[in-house]
Amino acid sequence: MNKTDGLIRDIRAIKEKYQSKRAALLPALYLAQREFGWLSPEALEFVAEALDVPKASIKGTATFYAMFKNKPVGRHLIQLCTNVACMIMGAERLVDLLRDKYGIEPNGTSADGRFSLVIMECIGACDTAPAMLINEDFYDNLNKENIIDILENYK
Amino acid sequence: MITVTINGKKITLEKQVTVLEAARSAGIKIPTLCHHETLEAFGGCRLCLVEIEKIPKLQTSCTIYITDGMVVHSETERVVNARKAMLEFLLINHPLDCPYCDKAGECDLQDLAAKYGPTTGRFAEGKRTHPESYDDPVIVRNMERCISCTRCVRMCDKVQGASAISMVNRTSKTFVEPFSGKRYDCEYCGNCLSVCPVGAIMSRMYKHKYRPWYIDKNINTICSYCGVGCSVTAQVKGDSLVRVVPEMGKGLNKGLLCVRGRFGYDYVNSSARLKTPLIRRNGELQQVTWSEAFKYAADRLRDIKERYGSEAIAGIAGGRCANEDIYIFQKFIRGVLGSNNIDSIANFSYAPAQRFFERIFGQGVTANSIQGISNSDGIFVVGGDPTSINPILGLQIRAAYQQGIPVITVGDTPGLKRFATCMLKPNPFTETALLVSLLSELKVKKQFLGGNSSFERLINNISALSMKEVEDICGLPTDNIASAVNMLSNMTNPSIVIGKDILQRTDGHINLLLLSAIMYLINGRVYLLSEFPNEQGLVDMGCLPDMLPGGRPIEIESFKKRYEEIVGLNISSTHGLSLSGIIENAYTGKIKAIQIIGENVLSNIPDSNYVGKAFSNLELLIVQDSLMTETAGLAHVVLPSLSWLERKGSYTNLERRMQFMGKAVEGDGLEDWRIISEISKMLSFDMGYKGLEDILSEIARVSPLHKDITYNDISGDECIWPYKGEPLRHGVSLEGMDVPDIGSLLKKPAKDRVYAVFDKELFHPDSLSRKSAAISSISPEPCSRVNRALADRLSVSEGDYLNISTDAGSIEMAVKIDEDIPENVVMIPNNFEGKGIFNIMQWKLNPVLKCPVLDGNEVKLKKAEARS
Amino acid sequence: MKRALLRNIDNTNSADINEYIKISGYASLLKALEMKPSDVIDEVKTSGLRGRGGAGFPTATKWAFASMDPKFPKYLICNADEGEPGTFKDRPILEKNPHQLIEGMIISAYALSAEYGYIYLRGEYPNACNILNNAIKQAYGKGYLGDNISGKGVRFHLHVHQGAGAYICGEETALIDSLEGKRGQPRIKPPFPVNEGFLSRPTIVNNVETFANIPYIMEIGGEQYAKIGSPQCPGPKLFSVSGHVKTPGVYELPMGTTLREIIYTHCGGIKDDKKLKAVIPGGISTPILPADKIDCPMDFVSMPRYGSMLGSGAVMVFDESTDLVKVCLRAIKFFEHESCGKCTPCREGVGWMRAILKRICDYNGRETDIEHLLEVSENISGNTFCPLGDGAATVVQNFIKHFRGEFESKIKI
Repeated sequence: MNKTDGLIRDIRAIKEKYQSKRAALLPALYLAQREFGWLSPEALEFVAEALDVPKASIKGTATFYAMFKNKPVGRHLIQLCTNVACMIMGAERLVDLLRDKYGIEPNGTSADGRFSLVIMECIGACDTAPAMLINEDFYDNLNKENIIDILENYK
Repeated sequence: MITVTINGKKITLEKQVTVLEAARSAGIKIPTLCHHETLEAFGGCRLCLVEIEKIPKLQTSCTIYITDGMVVHSETERVVNARKAMLEFLLINHPLDCPYCDKAGECDLQDLAAKYGPTTGRFAEGKRTHPESYDDPVIVRNMERCISCTRCVRMCDKVQGASAISMVNRTSKTFVEPFSGKRYDCEYCGNCLSVCPVGAIMSRMYKHKYRPWYIDKNINTICSYCGVGCSVTAQVKGDSLVRVVPEMGKGLNKGLLCVRGRFGYDYVNSSARLKTPLIRRNGELQQVTWSEAFKYAADRLRDIKERYGSEAIAGIAGGRCANEDIYIFQKFIRGVLGSNNIDSIANFSYAPAQRFFERIFGQGVTANSIQGISNSDGIFVVGGDPTSINPILGLQIRAAYQQGIPVITVGDTPGLKRFATCMLKPNPFTETALLVSLLSELKVKKQFLGGNSSFERLINNISALSMKEVEDICGLPTDNIASAVNMLSNMTNPSIVIGKDILQRTDGHINLLLLSAIMYLINGRVYLLSEFPNEQGLVDMGCLPDMLPGGRPIEIESFKKRYEEIVGLNISSTHGLSLSGIIENAYTGKIKAIQIIGENVLSNIPDSNYVGKAFSNLELLIVQDSLMTETAGLAHVVLPSLSWLERKGSYTNLERRMQFMGKAVEGDGLEDWRIISEISKMLSFDMGYKGLEDILSEIARVSPLHKDITYNDISGDECIWPYKGEPLRHGVSLEGMDVPDIGSLLKKPAKDRVYAVFDKELFHPDSLSRKSAAISSISPEPCSRVNRALADRLSVSEGDYLNISTDAGSIEMAVKIDEDIPENVVMIPNNFEGKGIFNIMQWKLNPVLKCPVLDGNEVKLKKAEARS
Repeated sequence: MKRALLRNIDNTNSADINEYIKISGYASLLKALEMKPSDVIDEVKTSGLRGRGGAGFPTATKWAFASMDPKFPKYLICNADEGEPGTFKDRPILEKNPHQLIEGMIISAYALSAEYGYIYLRGEYPNACNILNNAIKQAYGKGYLGDNISGKGVRFHLHVHQGAGAYICGEETALIDSLEGKRGQPRIKPPFPVNEGFLSRPTIVNNVETFANIPYIMEIGGEQYAKIGSPQCPGPKLFSVSGHVKTPGVYELPMGTTLREIIYTHCGGIKDDKKLKAVIPGGISTPILPADKIDCPMDFVSMPRYGSMLGSGAVMVFDESTDLVKVCLRAIKFFEHESCGKCTPCREGVGWMRAILKRICDYNGRETDIEHLLEVSENISGNTFCPLGDGAATVVQNFIKHFRGEFESKIKI
């Protein structure tokens, strides 16, 4: 109960920014995702209630966007770009490395629940490619060596 | 005027329409998949691409509007190639399982592929797979077949307003899903499956039983559930019914249906259907032949009439009987048995409300087109949830709201929760105070001076209440009321939608007066919600203790004389007993015999226990019905009547539109009018009808309202009020209308008590839908609703059972949490045998309307013992 | 040339409002508030500014449509959803010079009588989100945002709205649907957003870089501005250069700078001094150019004459060692992933192209595959609801047009 009190308050504050309740949906989904870990049916129903928007419509929106987690993810979410600029700078080799070293498949989670990997489309760091986000932290100029050092900071 | 040239053909149109509409108006076919005339344009399937001169790219004809001088080509090589390409794209993921798919033969994609499609597929990789979903009892989803046209979602969002399904995901992984991904959690209107152009969403009711080429006959008829009267088509193979479906664009429902109309038709094949006449012998109902039954019924009726007089006999008619049946029934009770004790449930509130309004505003004041609701500039809903009582009428309100028309609701209207500009939810049973307040504020806003007529003087004399008092009684903030008044006073062409709950109150007659005063001030068009397909027919055919067919008062000699002359029978000019009077007199033993046609009185009137006792006192209870009901279970004679779909006839809906019901299949039993004629013959009066035509032509002579009416008139869409007849024109009569003493009426409900409120829910509004296996699978058991605070107080959570008791009895029911309900209320439906709110209510009547009242039922609640 | 859009960028504290004010930030706003709104629009018209999002539509024309619409309130939306692969030109504005964007938006809002503004920021830029939110807070603090801006009775409220990973939301009507909390799918036009946009109200959507140009136009005047770069589409332009160049990054250069200059003069030439093979000049949806076609002036008007487009000015450089079939496959995978699913050819056709490309890349291609691929792309081209599908078709068509041999060599092994 207490867990969601804060969430309700935050969603209410967001609603103030718009002249339509539904317009607050994307920000509300971000908040719910943070609170619930992913956009579980519970999380979606919570947002539906808070915004008074039909829950099926909310599901439609939530499943449209790549950055909404529609299934549970590991403790840390690696969002690695493999689009053209990153690809030609070796991003695909990094995907292989993550598979070998941590046993994570793209769109999968490591067996220990530590990392989930999502292959991103361009994250706008083409000049310092390859690049990734871990949770909300940004890393670029990645190579086989430094990516492991970085990941080891996330336990 | 706009002139366009399509394929060399010049087309001149007044309005700027889409190229597609222009083409279709000229008979030029352009294929479409995502387009649907009842839905807003989408432009996704790209099948309707056309070439337009001076525009380099092909354009979707469903989204581009014509301009003067536009030159369009829809059959050039370029267009046809694009069409073929789109179909090839669609068939990448659409399975080629036509032999297995129920849609085959009426699938838009299949038809188009046959016309334009490639003979072999070039896409070598595998198709998308997605298991067919049987998670839902009545709807099958096969998302491999979905072509993402979104027609279902647009229907659900924009027309039905349920927003129960959505497109999920993106790319070619897009498909349609209800929130759960499994079962639907919605109103089950099934309009989604009506608009699916392929076999992606279908009804389970005819899964693998239906092929379009199996169908021998398509019979047009009218849905038998509520007073809207939606057009449906019964499809028949040989002697059996395959399915009942709407036809898009057709009827006043324009092809839309609600759950009852779409899925509820299977009661016709219910195991509860009566097949042979039954007579009670040694306390048990036993099968007899028709002639035995007729003779028995006639003998017993004659005997009772001789022993106790005609006044000891009464007739009760049901709202699902055809006009022809109930006309004959009143003639029989009045003329042959000599009793004016004839009535129906219509006289509990529908008929008195209509009569009241007609006294002030003239006959026919409630005869307004349902489609007109969305054309009004404001809607005032009071006394019930139109979306569950008359769902298709409810859609008009939702549509109006979506167009920005203000909607004001009074009371619990969950189906309009997202479609109300202002929801006034007063404390339970305090609507009178709220109506007084609305009226007095409106008088100020409208600068009403009063005094021009007797009704104005009456309005003038209704005293006001201070906002503070109202706030206190109703528990509504003053602002809320003020904003409602503001909206009401700004409406110039409003619709007032009135449900029965507001009348079935101890002060229901006062509410009626207040509503008519409000109606007078805002100049509104009134709609009376109606639970039965022929409730209006009961009124118009004279199934009333004081009115002859055509709404002619029985005490007026000229009307009585005309009736007697045409019918050939003499009748009494004294008013008979109304339905509540019949029941009370049966209870006290003054009424000895009741004949009922098509009404499960026991289940549909509170208090069921009282009615049961009253009926048990009778010497003779004759029940004509197509189904074995609780009421039939008490009868001495049970006569199986033919069901809907098995006989022809006519219904008059709440707009007073007369519509024709077709016959689709044969059934066991006889039409009610035939049964009555046979009994009449045994009582030495041969009615002599050869068929329905004879009956209608007699109605046309007896009822001035139905003058010269024929089946030809009724079979079309437009048999609307006042037909070719003569409505009664009389001045305003305020006789018996007194200014209520407002002060004495204003009672505050006690805070620490809990009241039972009748939940007239969508799936089972009365006892008929229980006999539908499909609806019962959607809603298998009754649920009471309380809010979280009350649930916590009772230590119950969702799914637990509540024990609900009053002095009249107790019931146990599963509980659902609903935050929209006040803390001192438990909502209880009446939808399962022996387990409804009517089982725990006291027999209590409104002093003026003489209908059972639904207010003031204080209940005791506790958590029921654990159940398996 | 003095930097106009990325001025102060070397200051590590450039996102702070005080630092911005030090270099006469918000002076343009104060100047604009002294003018009539219609004069501000005229000034922008004089400048010849074209939208920097990719289509190059004249900004003042769009504004004029919106200002003529009598409906209120009006909304001003900044499209900060730069999702076109290779594009990161807006990022330095968002992260290093947010106040110039905010100032530009306030001036525009004043010109258009818009009371509410949203910066639709791509979800992939969480850093920028924090910086912008902070900058907006500072602007409110200084009275540049709110109900009575700088005491002039002008009202404008601005919020950041984070997208959630959908390239299609760069298309302005999809962006508006997304802002409304819906699935970000493009809408039928007309009505255009300038008449019926966000919540059915007149809505002006401009790119980050477009807004950032506004204070500069107000500062130097439309006439002066119009003298910068290409006459038909003047002004400074941000180019984001990536791939095989020595110094990739964002460069502010006059509109019309040639591709060769960008690569060899500004970015130091090809990495490891390899040979140039190809360039995608304006983000992945713009046609690829072979090495011998790089003397084109980079502006909206000139590029089509060289067989490509300026797009977002995202230059992606490929050296001789690049496997372009693989690049093509990756690009198509991107379009497939981002197809919103609304229209048939894009939803189904792009995946089909990916499937064919995949088998070519895996050396399982068939002899007919190149023709087949071209045919599918032509069936997509021009038949889709929005330009996303066209973009995918363009990629396939131009890669094959210029580098057919590479495709053939993978098939004929």
